[in-house]
Amino acid sequence: MRTMPIIDIKKLSKTYRVYQKKEGLLASLRGLVHRQYRTIHAVSEIDLTVEQGEFVAFLGPNGAGKTTTLKMLSGVINPSSGQCTVMGFVPWKRENAFRRRMALVMGQKNQLWWDLPAQESFRLHQHIYGIEKGRFEQTKSELADMLTVTELMGQPVRELSLGERMKMELIAALLHSPSVLFLDEPTIGLDVVAQHNIQNFLRHYQQDRKITIILTSHYMKDIAALCRRVVIIAGGTIHYDGSLRGIIDRFGSEKIITLTLAKTESLAGLEKVGREVSIEIPKIKFRLPKDEVAKTLAQVFSTKHVEDIVVEDPPLEEVIARVFFEAEQSMNGGNSSAAGNPLEISRR
Amino acid sequence: MGNDELKSISNLHAEEPNRVVDSQSTVNALNSAYRIPYFTILWTFARNSLVRDLSFRTNFILEAISSLAWTLMNLAFFKIIFLNASSIGRGTGWGEYEFYIFLGTVWIINSIVQTVFMPNAQEFSELIRTGHLDFALLKPINTQFLISFPKFNWSSLVNAFAGIVLVNYSLIRLSSLAERPLELSIWSVPIYILFLCCGIGILYSIILSMASLSVWFGRNQNIYLVYFYLTQFYRYPSEIYQRGVWGYGLWAVFSFAIPILLVANVPARFLARPLRPEWTSSEFYMIGFTLIATVASLFASRWVFNRSLLSYRSASS
Repeated sequence: MRTMPIIDIKKLSKTYRVYQKKEGLLASLRGLVHRQYRTIHAVSEIDLTVEQGEFVAFLGPNGAGKTTTLKMLSGVINPSSGQCTVMGFVPWKRENAFRRRMALVMGQKNQLWWDLPAQESFRLHQHIYGIEKGRFEQTKSELADMLTVTELMGQPVRELSLGERMKMELIAALLHSPSVLFLDEPTIGLDVVAQHNIQNFLRHYQQDRKITIILTSHYMKDIAALCRRVVIIAGGTIHYDGSLRGIIDRFGSEKIITLTLAKTESLAGLEKVGREVSIEIPKIKFRLPKDEVAKTLAQVFSTKHVEDIVVEDPPLEEVIARVFFEAEQSMNGGNSSAAGNPLEISRR
Repeated sequence: MGNDELKSISNLHAEEPNRVVDSQSTVNALNSAYRIPYFTILWTFARNSLVRDLSFRTNFILEAISSLAWTLMNLAFFKIIFLNASSIGRGTGWGEYEFYIFLGTVWIINSIVQTVFMPNAQEFSELIRTGHLDFALLKPINTQFLISFPKFNWSSLVNAFAGIVLVNYSLIRLSSLAERPLELSIWSVPIYILFLCCGIGILYSIILSMASLSVWFGRNQNIYLVYFYLTQFYRYPSEIYQRGVWGYGLWAVFSFAIPILLVANVPARFLARPLRPEWTSSEFYMIGFTLIATVASLFASRWVFNRSLLSYRSASS
């Protein structure tokens, strides 16, 4: 039997009308009377399905539509058109039965009472979500234990570090054991250790509870550590949907090759073997288009004595930056339809 | 984290092997049976606000003192007026102690509005501007309730006590008059409280509607200012407006369009009975109309509020 996907998005769009403010006082005064507006397509007709228990990453440049999509999925804003169900509910109807089973955590916005200890906010959540007392105490201490913040729960939130505050935000969001969790840049601004702690926690928690999580992040480390499925959103449309590895296979058009030559060999003749040649005798490093690797290396082997060879993919960040760049180029070209996009859309 | 964390994960498993099923069934049970304890939540809001206010003790005390001082100066001002005149308005019956009942009523209403509704309206406006309204929208609870009550500004409540003292003192003075003494029935107080609630309901509706406009304006810091201007008008008996074109104009606008003249006039009139012993027909109309106006205001503001949520854009993070 095929089960219904837990998140089902069909042709979901969100457009905003924004006031075009011109520079200068005179223009501002004119703006009081006559305003020019511009329509922004934050999200255009995206389709996506997510199965129960998946951990999906939304990846994309700033302003790509990731957060807007999460906000529509959690029911915070209404879409301009299109449909979507999460656990069978239409999110923006904001039924209590839906809201009791999901949570949204935002790295840039906090929901805890600023001047009070986090545990006061937790208690409020207990009443709002109707968490039975014994269960509440147990969940709270388990989560605090896992995130190692048990001692900090009595301290006013304003006195906590950014990392500690984020952990408290996570506890607040997970107290009611949501089935679907949306995370919008949960590690933003955190140091490496704090990022790592939160990644670890999220990985274990997700594996343990089998809940569905969608995460947006700018840190590739977050995504590499947590998500097997990556959705690249740029310019409001989906440009890729698949594994992290698949991004390199699909969009990484080059390989990076490092050769270590025998001591007796000269480097003569290798100056133009590929792009971006760098030499540190006896090593030489360069880039080649994927389909030329075998041919070029065969040539080198036939003329030079090579002691060692390393063939690598370019760094993921670089590949993704290129995907973003090309996606935006195609958007700015005025043709936003999928057919006109040089990057073909892939679906699992 | 690391090992400790893994240990606690395995503990989780040891204690509750069927966690996923378990939490799912709990959730399902909740959906059908759970009733949101609004009073407990209100109490939590009130309590948390007090804890917060008291953690900034000096600020709290200074606020309370300054608003009480303002109130007492207000009383002194009217004391001076009554040294010059025997009543507010000719033949209206609003003599000195009748008017102090009116004044005390205004203090009580203002104080409650400034303790509960004004801070929350300002906060709501700010939530819209910063996009923090997201969190209120995510909670499985009535959103209007959630934005109307989270913050209590307890230091403002001191004026309500001052108002209660003034009303009681004035009642005693009026009851012991040799001529036309005031007679209270057991119903006077509950009905007074009912109309006090009506008045607060009307003001709450106005404030909520104004705060909701922030969704379209992007920024709305005028709430307090506009409220302050409006409340200048409701501080006086409605009879004083019923003179001349300007007077009747203001009276009509503030009775029917934005019914703030009903806010303090009706409960105060009920208690002070300026035209005692008999009721006039216009007083009856006013009382009936207040009930209708309160319900209509609450519905209208709820409508504006819901419309504003539909247009909420959630500032980008």
